[in-house]
Amino acid sequence: MTGGGGGRWLARRLAQSVAIIFAVVTFIFILIHLAPGRPCSENLDPRVCAQLSAQFGLDKPIVVQYWRYLVELAHGNLGMSFSLRRPVWDALVETVPFTLQLAGAALLLDFLLGLALGIYQASRANRLPDVILGNATLFIYSLPTFWLALILLLVFGEKLHWFPVGGASDPIFCPVVDSLYCVADRFWHLVLPAATLGVVGAAGTARFQRAAMLEVASQDYVRTARAKGVSERQIVLRHQLRNALLSFITRFGLAFPFLLTGAVLVETIFAWPGMGRLAFDAILTRDYPLVTASALIASTVVVAGNLLADILLGVADPRLRVHSTADADVVTA
Amino acid sequence: MLSAMPRRFHFSYIVLGVIAIAACERRGGCTTAGCGTLIDAAVTEPATLLPPSSEDIVTNDIGEQLFLKLADVGMSTNTIGDEDFQALLAQRWEWDGPLTLVFHIDPRARWQDGQPVTAPDVEFTFNAYNDSAVASPFRPKLQRIEKVTTRDSLTAVFRFREKYPEMFYDAVYHMRILPAHLLRSVPRDQWKTAAFGRQPVGDGPYRFVRWQAAQSIELVADTTFFLGRPGIRRLIWRFTPNLPVAVQQVIADQADVREQLVTPDNVERAKAAQQLTIYAYRGNVYTFLSFNQRAPGDTAKPHPIFADRDVRRALTMAVDRASLVKSTLGDLGQVPPGPISSLVGIWDPDTRQLPYDTAQAGRLLNLHGWRDHDGDGVRDKDGQPLAFHILVPSSSGLRKQYARLLQEQFRVIGVRVEIDELEGSVVAQRTGTGNYDTALLSRSNDPSPGSGITQSWTVAGFGGSNFGRYYNPEFERIVQLAISAPTRDRARALWRSALETMNADAPAIFLYALANVGAVHKRVDNVQFRPDSWAALLRTWRIPPERLIDRDRVER
Amino acid sequence: MTFGNWFAVLVALVVAAEFVRMLRRRALAQERWRRFFRHRTTSWGLGILTFLVLVALAAPLVAPFDPNRQLDIVHLTNRAPSWTFPLGTDPLSRDVWSRTAYGARVSLGIGALGALVAVALGTLVGAIAGYYRRWIDSVLMRGVDVGLALPRIFILLMAVALWDGLPFAALVITIGLTSWFGTSRLVRAEVLALRQRDFVVAARALGADSGRVIFRHVLPNAAAPIIVSAALGVGNVLLLEASLSFLGIGIAPPDASWGNMIADGAPAIYTAPWSTLFPGLAIALVVMSLNAVADGVRDALDPRETP
Repeated sequence: MTGGGGGRWLARRLAQSVAIIFAVVTFIFILIHLAPGRPCSENLDPRVCAQLSAQFGLDKPIVVQYWRYLVELAHGNLGMSFSLRRPVWDALVETVPFTLQLAGAALLLDFLLGLALGIYQASRANRLPDVILGNATLFIYSLPTFWLALILLLVFGEKLHWFPVGGASDPIFCPVVDSLYCVADRFWHLVLPAATLGVVGAAGTARFQRAAMLEVASQDYVRTARAKGVSERQIVLRHQLRNALLSFITRFGLAFPFLLTGAVLVETIFAWPGMGRLAFDAILTRDYPLVTASALIASTVVVAGNLLADILLGVADPRLRVHSTADADVVTA
Repeated sequence: MLSAMPRRFHFSYIVLGVIAIAACERRGGCTTAGCGTLIDAAVTEPATLLPPSSEDIVTNDIGEQLFLKLADVGMSTNTIGDEDFQALLAQRWEWDGPLTLVFHIDPRARWQDGQPVTAPDVEFTFNAYNDSAVASPFRPKLQRIEKVTTRDSLTAVFRFREKYPEMFYDAVYHMRILPAHLLRSVPRDQWKTAAFGRQPVGDGPYRFVRWQAAQSIELVADTTFFLGRPGIRRLIWRFTPNLPVAVQQVIADQADVREQLVTPDNVERAKAAQQLTIYAYRGNVYTFLSFNQRAPGDTAKPHPIFADRDVRRALTMAVDRASLVKSTLGDLGQVPPGPISSLVGIWDPDTRQLPYDTAQAGRLLNLHGWRDHDGDGVRDKDGQPLAFHILVPSSSGLRKQYARLLQEQFRVIGVRVEIDELEGSVVAQRTGTGNYDTALLSRSNDPSPGSGITQSWTVAGFGGSNFGRYYNPEFERIVQLAISAPTRDRARALWRSALETMNADAPAIFLYALANVGAVHKRVDNVQFRPDSWAALLRTWRIPPERLIDRDRVER
Repeated sequence: MTFGNWFAVLVALVVAAEFVRMLRRRALAQERWRRFFRHRTTSWGLGILTFLVLVALAAPLVAPFDPNRQLDIVHLTNRAPSWTFPLGTDPLSRDVWSRTAYGARVSLGIGALGALVAVALGTLVGAIAGYYRRWIDSVLMRGVDVGLALPRIFILLMAVALWDGLPFAALVITIGLTSWFGTSRLVRAEVLALRQRDFVVAARALGADSGRVIFRHVLPNAAAPIIVSAALGVGNVLLLEASLSFLGIGIAPPDASWGNMIADGAPAIYTAPWSTLFPGLAIALVVMSLNAVADGVRDALDPRETP
């Protein structure tokens, strides 16, 4: 891996990501202006309307408006939320960490559980445990996320009292996370929502990993290692694990849209104060600055996720520096 | 490989150890009387805590702890004269002539920044509540008070326009006194979004601690409160997206109070929970389907459907209100005889109302030209179908259910209804500007019918709470007489007559009045629910030291 | 449920089973069908799917009650499953089985429509990009990159927020318009590979114009990813519609869709779980079956895939 080549590749990918985000920004602007009526819909306070008009120059030609829109965006000004009566940026910035925590925990669960299941299934390929697990993963993968969320909340929250019924933290002991106990408390609150997203993801990962494991098992280098007398366990751990990790990273770039979509539903049901719930509440108030800003941030997260996946892959194996990870099997999102 | 294993082993032990130690961190130190934490599982998060700027129920509940009124009603909720009123900010009062009321502020009262509460604060508060720039929804309730002046730093003088039985009640009940020195500099038209509303400073038994957006609001007791130290040290309002989750939290012992369980199912589940005590108290909320009598978006023109009195009467007769209540609430609700709840003493079950009679409804509609000319199952007239929208706040599961029930009831007589579920604030905005067909709204009653009914059902409420713009001069005449009636019996008879007049006009379909059933953790003593405002007496609730649990003991 | 209803359900079951059996007979003759039916789950998936489609088509025959009729709001709310109400009643005293059957029409119809728009658009864009290459390919694929960066639900939420009173048909089309990106990538990859093949070169040498070449020669051979996309696409659109209806911005009451049935039944989930259980199961079954069938198609048409 030559330093220059690596650096150039990275620069190209970064430039690409920025271009995509710019295109997303423009697309959202176009979408807003395609909508009928003035941006001040009937649901709004006339005074807020006047404020908006002044800020975004709503009566000027569209090019000027586009320019103002970009300028404001560059300064981090995403507008004023009608429903919350605060700047959109303030409202969003509080929620993004929560969504990232949820997505991160879900991804972790997805990877660990999915990998474990995939390996186990591959090792017992086509026998009874594999068949049962295979059908179970198919079933779970097909469940509507919000339905699973309701069931989990009912069973583990209310009936068994194992986990808290919604919320992100204990309001008495831990309104802010300022001690180890509060970190543990946050994890405890995270279990059910992350499990809802993670288990469905894990089912998909398990199916994928199982197929990948079975494919690798027949490949030459594994057979060679087996012939050399290296223990079966070591083969699994060293070769297949590494490939599994690589393919997971490939797919995790794609998992982000799924996670953010699922996050809207899961956050609403579990009262998790993340971006998804904020976006959905904004719908009910037709607070479109908030909705568009969350669409923007969500897209940025997706692009960043893909970029991160590409970088990790590129670092791990320079051969895999493809144009973009999203070239892989995409019919899952 | 071999040397790797012990390292992994040690690491997991360390992690476990750390978690165990962290878990022990919880043991706190508060173990005496006056400790305690009370968590309320609340449903809607308020927009602001500034009292004049919000009719939100949670704003009111928290306002009860932060800001004092001059005096307040007692458990009997009597509103005539000054009988059973509890002195709060005002130590004593007297009448100086038939139209002049003088209050003496308690010299011990202090704002939480140390400043004393003074009569100029009272004058400032009255002017703010009355200021159209603040646009307070409580403004119409104060219209019989001409002005408020001060005689000295502790004496406030109220002057009324006319004499009537509830003068004292009007002077004290509607306003929470605000700190002039902190609010004077805030421009009046920005009060709704003022920073003070998110970090209020009051003079009440509790002090504001923090507001975690979308999660919780925390208050802590003011131990030097001049009317007595509050029994419970800390109050937390925890926000949940909807009622079922709030009930779940109380049942799972993650919250202590749920002041309204609403449905029989929730009450059953709460009764089954070991740690809860159930309290029933008079309800103060009624729900109705408001007909907008003006054209949506243009209040100068009449509504194409609802301006016609007979059409409204027909639609009201088409709804089997008693069955709807039975279906959704069982015994926990009743069909009210008008825009009142059981809290208000004028509830008379013999009040004449429109009967449930779909045949009569159909005849009335036919009479006015609404027939199904094109055979599509929906009546129409001059090409316009008898179809309209019902606006419902999405946070209320009960009202969403009602909307679906009403949709079906109307479908049977050939009326097509579409349901629009929007957020509460948007519903408030659209009804406030008259931009709707019908809306399923809930209002809470004041202990006196006079102020509430004037606010919502007379011409004084145009542009305010009289969203449908109902106006009947005869009705208003009777209401005036009822408000100034010298005796309670005379007042009751007049109110009954007024409601009968209103019912005949059918400005709205009055659907149900909830009976309140609340659940509180059984360790809490001296639980009193004042029916008009459940949180009004929170400062008298106590948790005896021997019943303290983990969350009570935390020293923060 | 009347005898007629039970009979209709039985007929649907039998027809579905026979349909699968008939297709399996083909497996004896053709290699591709043999591969398709290699796994048991594919047969089951196909059978369940056929059954549900038949139920949806024959909804008036299998459903004893009008799905929107509130039968008796005082006495028949939240009834447990029984002989009269095989899947129970919901909080508004409507028969859950009838609503599920009619809801199948709505949910499956929307799934099919959305997937149709998505696959059609994706195939078109992918084919054009893959066939013409160079700058057309660049531009189109950059557009696809942007499309993949937008999480669908946020765009749909934006559409609902901006267009007040958006008719649901428009929303379905929007779902389709935001779901085609993955398909276009796959089709492009296939077309890129295929365009070098002899039969394509020959066709072009014979003077066939590009459109003809694409539609008559290239696409039929790129069937595998298209069909798989379609099958999975229906499932995705179905789940998305259910999510939107659950959130209250999908199918409007009183009409039934599996998503809004779950929403209506959710407040009663503790005391009457059947009104959320059965529509949820129905969704899971359909998506599962579609996945199983998609697996089978992959196996059948693309022998490079592993077992």
